Amino acid sequence: MMEDAFVQLDGVAKRWNGQLGVEDISLSIPRGSFVALLGPSGCGKSTTLRLLSGLELADEGRIIIDGKDVTTAAPSERNLSMVFQSYALFPHLSVAENVIFGLKVRKVAAAERREKLRRALEITGLLGYEARKPGELSGGQRQRVALARAIVANQPLCLMDEPLSNLDAKLRASVRKDIKKLQVDLGITVIYVTHDQTEAMSMADIVVLMKDGRIQQVGAPESLYYRSANTFVAEFVGSPPMALVEGSALPGFEGAAKIGLRAESLRLAKAGQGRLKCLVSECEFLGSETFVGLTHPAAKGLTISMPGLQTIPTGEELEIDFADEDLHFFDADGNRTNHLKRVSA
Amino acid sequence: MSGLSRHIESFGALLLAVIWISPLVFAFWAAFHTTSDAVNFNLAAPWTLDNFRTAWDGAPWLRYFLNTFLLVTVILIGQFFVTTLAGFAFAQVRFPGRDIVFILVLMQLFILPEVLIVENYVMVSRLGMFDTILGVGMPYMASAFGIFLMRQAFKGVPIELHEAARVEGCGWFGILWRVYVPLARPTYLAYALVSVSTHWNNFLWPLIVTNSPDTRPLTVGLSIFAAPENGVDISVISAATIMSVAPLLIAFLVFQRQFVQAFLRAGIK
Repeated sequence: MMEDAFVQLDGVAKRWNGQLGVEDISLSIPRGSFVALLGPSGCGKSTTLRLLSGLELADEGRIIIDGKDVTTAAPSERNLSMVFQSYALFPHLSVAENVIFGLKVRKVAAAERREKLRRALEITGLLGYEARKPGELSGGQRQRVALARAIVANQPLCLMDEPLSNLDAKLRASVRKDIKKLQVDLGITVIYVTHDQTEAMSMADIVVLMKDGRIQQVGAPESLYYRSANTFVAEFVGSPPMALVEGSALPGFEGAAKIGLRAESLRLAKAGQGRLKCLVSECEFLGSETFVGLTHPAAKGLTISMPGLQTIPTGEELEIDFADEDLHFFDADGNRTNHLKRVSA
Repeated sequence: MSGLSRHIESFGALLLAVIWISPLVFAFWAAFHTTSDAVNFNLAAPWTLDNFRTAWDGAPWLRYFLNTFLLVTVILIGQFFVTTLAGFAFAQVRFPGRDIVFILVLMQLFILPEVLIVENYVMVSRLGMFDTILGVGMPYMASAFGIFLMRQAFKGVPIELHEAARVEGCGWFGILWRVYVPLARPTYLAYALVSVSTHWNNFLWPLIVTNSPDTRPLTVGLSIFAAPENGVDISVISAATIMSVAPLLIAFLVFQRQFVQAFLRAGIK
């Protein structure tokens, strides 16, 4: 257990009349870090965030924020701010009133309110929009109002529930950078829910990958990518995801149930010299590279990354090669294993 | 074909409108003419204001206006208070037996208010509110219709707004006051319109529970003024009637657009 854990969850569980919510969530989040809760829809990442916020109360376990046990505390007692997926701006209030809503509720003096409002609007680039109603703003502007409302309270912890999912792709990339910069500049701890692995990988210091209400792996983005804990993580993280080959199809590695291969580890081989013979199923041109999808009876999701534009007709036979050290091994349960001997027994 | 049916529709609407408004038009016309001209439909007769002068002197109208105004205001304030709290409880607060209680409240809609007149009379007397404006308004404050309307309006408020307010530190009343009430404004406006016009025109209950000119609302005052012992003078009664309905009518005409919009917005939710 980390000594300076700012947010800590101990065996937290939440169920809805027998239906699965989250189960046995234990996490330790250091102060000032950017944590992404990642996973497919229904994996429990939003539930985890709502448990942290206090909008839902845990059935089991303990939640500690900043050294204080807040397991049963109300949201307002947890010293946190929140950005909602729908932004949750009050439609009857102007931008300025939305931003200082919490300050007013907490009876902050008017002069201080004005000063904080000005700073928050400056940071989010909303100066000049004070009097507008949310209905008169674009999606990106609304998103920034929600951010301004979250930072104006100056809380040490900010929870964000898929804040970028309603923005178009281009805006998303730029807001992603803004949020990351904001988090670093303000030195706050951010816990960020997303289903988009690119978002999680590019922004977070720590990624928590979840599935079916349980944590699959916790770690830095690179450790999820290079040392995926199980086949679910391997197939979820990375674009394209990791390909999985039956161990029996690779001579010398029969001991592993599944062998993982990243697109960038694959090389094209001369006829007769490759280790796997595959058929081309599709070419996906991305500009600087082309992903060539391959099919092989014993493999799933084989993709090779080739530089520049490649047009290979579908159905053509290709042979591929790879280095042994780039392989990832998984046992029959899908868990990572580095000791082939043990599973081959 | 569709053109023809459209004409029929327009004609039907027009006919209904004419039937609807003709008593009012006649009362208006009669109020400005002598009784014999009004009764004989003498369209060329000269206009006069004498009827208003006679009617105005015949009863303490100013007092009646004030009473009706106070009555309508007291009822509206009471209704807003009760229906807001009850509607919010039924919409957003989870408590055991909520649905059963809500159905019990809705059952109130099936009971004609007139059925309860005796019971209400006994109750109001026991509370010592006989012949007071509060006593006239009291039975209408916990309006089932209003509670239902507010519950629907509050249910339409996105839950994220509620949650955002909670995270920002609002308690129950803070959330209600800062989020739900402002967002339900169109519903309040529509409901206020219905309530005010109903109670401005309400007659039977105020007639029974009031006993003096100090509490009597317009409707009761008007009926006493038009009672047979004064002799039925259709023009004077028309003048008094026009006076009674004028404030409401003028308010409606002025705010017509806002009222209709409020109804539409409240209905869409």
